[in-house]
Amino acid sequence: MKDTHVVASIALSILVVLGNVGGAHAQADCKSLVKASPFGPDDQTGATNRITAAVTKAAAAEIQTGVVIPMAFNLVDGVPLFGTRFTKTMLTSASLVPGGEYGKNKLTYMEDTYLSQSHVGTHIDGMGHIGIMDCYYNQTPMGKFVTQNSIKKLGLENLKSFATRGVIVDMVKVFQEAGKLKTNPACRTPCLDGGTLITDADIQAGLKMYNVTLREGDVVFLHTGWGDLFQQFPAQNATYNKAAPGLGKAAASWLAGQKVVAVGTDTWVVEVIPSEDTSEAFPVHAILLTDNGIHIIENVRTDLIAAEASTSKRATFFLSMTVPKAVGTTGTFVNIEAIR
Amino acid sequence: MGLTEFGRVTALRLKRRHFLLAILAVTSSSRATSAEPQRFRVAFANLNEEPGARIEGLGFTGAEIRRSFELASRALPFDMIYYDNGGDPEKALGNAKDAISRKIDLLIEFNSDPAANAEIGRELSAAGVPVLAVNYRIPGAPLYSADYREAGRIAGQALGKFAKENWSSQTVVGAILGDVSDPSSVVTERIQGVTEGLKQELPELSPVRLDSAGHPVRAGGVLAKFLAAQTNRKLVLATLDDPTALAAKSAVESAGRISDCVIVSQGADRSIHGGASERKEIDPANRGSIVLGSVAYYFDRYGYEILPIALRMLQGAQVPERTSTKHILISAKNVFVEYPPYDMN
Repeated sequence: MKDTHVVASIALSILVVLGNVGGAHAQADCKSLVKASPFGPDDQTGATNRITAAVTKAAAAEIQTGVVIPMAFNLVDGVPLFGTRFTKTMLTSASLVPGGEYGKNKLTYMEDTYLSQSHVGTHIDGMGHIGIMDCYYNQTPMGKFVTQNSIKKLGLENLKSFATRGVIVDMVKVFQEAGKLKTNPACRTPCLDGGTLITDADIQAGLKMYNVTLREGDVVFLHTGWGDLFQQFPAQNATYNKAAPGLGKAAASWLAGQKVVAVGTDTWVVEVIPSEDTSEAFPVHAILLTDNGIHIIENVRTDLIAAEASTSKRATFFLSMTVPKAVGTTGTFVNIEAIR
Repeated sequence: MGLTEFGRVTALRLKRRHFLLAILAVTSSSRATSAEPQRFRVAFANLNEEPGARIEGLGFTGAEIRRSFELASRALPFDMIYYDNGGDPEKALGNAKDAISRKIDLLIEFNSDPAANAEIGRELSAAGVPVLAVNYRIPGAPLYSADYREAGRIAGQALGKFAKENWSSQTVVGAILGDVSDPSSVVTERIQGVTEGLKQELPELSPVRLDSAGHPVRAGGVLAKFLAAQTNRKLVLATLDDPTALAAKSAVESAGRISDCVIVSQGADRSIHGGASERKEIDPANRGSIVLGSVAYYFDRYGYEILPIALRMLQGAQVPERTSTKHILISAKNVFVEYPPYDMN
């Protein structure tokens, strides 16, 4: 049969070549591929270790007016997603039908079924999201800890609090003031165009604009204006997903050196797309998450807090964000608020 | 490989010019610091950016090449100026003269006309501006180029190996499908390479040339006619570009002959591979395809390959007289390693 069935023989030869790679996970030398965690060899938490009681207490000083600025987009069917990803909400409301009530007091109830991948909308990437081969944060050989339904190490249940200081860096202003803003015609308000590289010098210029010095335990948000395309869903979904302004590798390493806890942007990816080197896949993800245990927060609504910072000349706030203890998961949608 | 004579002279001139510029910068500007990198004005004159114009008989467009320069220059100390030669020697010469008038530090020239290239070389040399030639030689200038013969050889060898491993007891015929009557070296060298690669594995096999005149639609008809005459035979098919490979695959399917044919293409352009959600022909989830792969030319990465050479020239370092593209076979096994998809998050 081999001689007469090319398709089968091709598939067979590929299977032979792949050998053990197919079903079992290839074991790589994780100590040579991924940095050791500064939080110890058994750590599964990552950078939220930096949010100590002292850090939270210091961050509380940012609450001066009590004004709350939303920083998450509405989670709704139709927002930009990739390829086969989907969201679907289904409402259970059967008891509202006449005669379907419960008890003498005619109690009714409703609940939802929400079908979705976890990395949709405004969401956080956990330590189990990105690795190099099967090596993940803290040199974890993830192949040993993957099951059909979840991960047995590095799940979101290991995270600590995000009650810390947030910092907004207005990259649109930085690029405008440097005279190098190249915008995208689909953006209704000024934005950095897809593919615009944000360097560490750009971030430092943005911090200097509001006299901010980063502190250990901060969460840094970059406003690129690209989120305006998200807000135009579904009309600009394809443009939004096709590219993004964002961090280059040097900027990511610089932020890691500042010992921040997370980096968020109003893009789907935080890093620049296309990458600095298009033969590399998501290198900034690997620098932040895999090597440094620093979270990535995507699709953040940054325009409101950027405008508020511009008015008040204050770019810092108390960050309100909680992450569900969803055991064995790699990421989740979140709500974020900046408390001033 | 040594620095060309032209390169040595211009490098010396540039060193002198940059030394003086550096002195000026330090003395005249209080904002200048030694940490600020020297920036260069670099022009790239592209072969042809006409929509629909295919580069070197492959599926790439001039816009893709230009985009690769735009992307690659983001992290380099270059202020880029772009020209479109439009496949026109006169226009290429005019662009080169304009670039000189704009006081560029280096010109990257992608133009296929030898006479115009010779004149461009003379003009630039007289102006003391170094040139880096792309795919076509310019006298005295270092060259970055695809290696068409090597790319063809990789395709031929892949087909031959497959036939040896899977059809050792069968009668195997070989064919090359595409614009085979094109006399330009970019095509003739590919055909020569395919033939050599096939013979390396199957010494008795001489591939038939099937002429589609560069039209994928016509390619399907030509192949269908050929297949009909090859009953009880296996076919190893080299296509000269990816759109032709896709048309050929369709023709093979229509003829009910997928058990009898394998295809290796040239180019690895975006018509044949794509992102994680796109499900193009060469895809990790499509490992049973009769399109075994396509030899990469990386025209969409030219900027990444060429601009670092330009930087070395501008810094006065030696560059080889010729740097060739590192062609490899892109298949379902390595496509996402070579072209990482970013349609996931």
